[in-house]
Amino acid sequence: MQAIIDCNSFYCSCERLFAPNLQNAPIVVLSNNDGCIVSRSDEAKKLGINMAAPYFQEAERIKKFGIHTFSSNYHLYGDLSWRVMETMRSLLPPGHVEVYSVDEAFVDLHHIANNDVYDFCIHLKNTIETWTGISVSIGAAPNKVLSKIANRLAKKNKIETNCVVVLDTTQKIQTALQKTPIEDVWGIGYQYSEKLKVYGINNAFALSMKDLSWGKKFLGGITGIKLIRELKGLKTHGMQAPRTEKKMIATTRMFGRNVSTWQEVEEALATYATRCCEKLRRQHGAAKCVQVFLLRKPTVNYNAEGHYHRGSQVSGFALLDNPSSLTPDIIKAAVAIGKTIFEQGEIYKKAGVILSDFVPDNALQTNLFVAPSDTRKKKLMNVIDNMNAAYRNDVLKFGSTGTKKNWKMRSEKRSKRFTTRWDELCKVQ
Amino acid sequence: MKILNILANIANKFSFMEYIDMDPSEGIATQQINKNYQSNQIVQANATGFGAASDDFMERGIDLNEQLIQNKPATFFFRVNSDAMLGAGIHIGDTLIVDRSVPPRTGKVVVAILNGEFLVRRLQMQTHSITLLPENKKYGAIHIEHLQDYKTWGVVTYVIHGL
Repeated sequence: MQAIIDCNSFYCSCERLFAPNLQNAPIVVLSNNDGCIVSRSDEAKKLGINMAAPYFQEAERIKKFGIHTFSSNYHLYGDLSWRVMETMRSLLPPGHVEVYSVDEAFVDLHHIANNDVYDFCIHLKNTIETWTGISVSIGAAPNKVLSKIANRLAKKNKIETNCVVVLDTTQKIQTALQKTPIEDVWGIGYQYSEKLKVYGINNAFALSMKDLSWGKKFLGGITGIKLIRELKGLKTHGMQAPRTEKKMIATTRMFGRNVSTWQEVEEALATYATRCCEKLRRQHGAAKCVQVFLLRKPTVNYNAEGHYHRGSQVSGFALLDNPSSLTPDIIKAAVAIGKTIFEQGEIYKKAGVILSDFVPDNALQTNLFVAPSDTRKKKLMNVIDNMNAAYRNDVLKFGSTGTKKNWKMRSEKRSKRFTTRWDELCKVQ
Repeated sequence: MKILNILANIANKFSFMEYIDMDPSEGIATQQINKNYQSNQIVQANATGFGAASDDFMERGIDLNEQLIQNKPATFFFRVNSDAMLGAGIHIGDTLIVDRSVPPRTGKVVVAILNGEFLVRRLQMQTHSITLLPENKKYGAIHIEHLQDYKTWGVVTYVIHGL
């Protein structure tokens, strides 16, 4: 059996852990820049607050019901995510936990007898909740696609199921499939679900009755075959080893306010380039390709049909003669690209720096005709990284990243970093 | 010149440290502080040619975490903001180490949630109620009948007090 363990309203649960006055109160957490609602407590869901709704749309209702609002506190969520995953790892053999996202993980339960899976899931759930204070839902089934379906049912009926659903018989699997609308099947997006409904496939059960060849034809080849196989109860997706190295590193942020001067854009690009380089050096890579994009603010946020307008994007890229992970090299490249795409008089709302085309840093292939990067510079980077990690608040910065950073993201309602900063610990009376 | 020297010293201090690998945006925070410290020492000792006998006994220095943290994913820190537990040696400004995996039993000092507030008190459990006992005559015992308003958050395992 495989299971997926998913934290319940993860960001809200994190906030609630250190908010003794909000134990049963409705709360929501906003995305970067306080733009959208990304997490809702059950109480907020009951009050009709929509997921992913822009904050300004729900602001009135939030005020009316006195719903507590938080800006994203990624330091806190990251730490608690690590605790949840670490708790699972300490209860399972090595390699049996596959972290799937910040708040979900697949776990391999093949070492547990089928009859004991339910009890073991309850034990996992209780231990995670006791140790970390984060409540979870668990769905267990013969494979990943079915475990996702089981998990959805556990979340939908928290009280009846005690947040654990195990699909261990053909009968249970069939019933679960019938209860699952087609758009809620893992891997079926909005477009595919519309297409499938045309063929009269409205729930997961109907799809599971289709032949594999049908899946190959209508559901994107091999992926479709795998999906239908798993819906039929056969195992295909194995556990995946964690990706330790990324193929692409991006830092993209919304600006906290409208930005129209080159100086501010330059500061932002330099800051994002610095962040990218830190991540890149952590995986001991060097990048060949630097990409930069700027997102213009649209003149109207919604078009005539009421669809949201993202704004038009301008971008450019450069290939470095020498792959590099040195912050000054990448800043220089990013700023140069930015200069070519920046237009005076435009208003920008977002910018991003993306690094790709990585080579290992220890065996840098240098171009015969270009001087290789100085190893002294690499040592300097190492010292900067270590000092910033030890003192935490970026004590050493590059001048081009600016000092005031007026363009920085809004996070006005962020709670304290209770688990990662000595000076922000929770107070007890 | 003086500033340069100080900077060089700091740089030396940090150049052997593997930096804290922590990126909350990626969901996983792993902390590796000072990992290289130990291996550096050993390499230097070996490089003297005829190995000193003590090399065989080289080991990691004392790490406070080993003593104070039994279960890392379940351990949290709190800052004391009251003198209610003075008798237990818990002063204002002290750091509490709280282990959520330790079962709360009568006699344990706990961090608890009551009426929307974090409290540190000694726990006394009865069959249908709970009493929170202070260790300071200025405060009274708190008797809790309605357990729905109460939650034991975690058990205090250590207090760090500066002198």
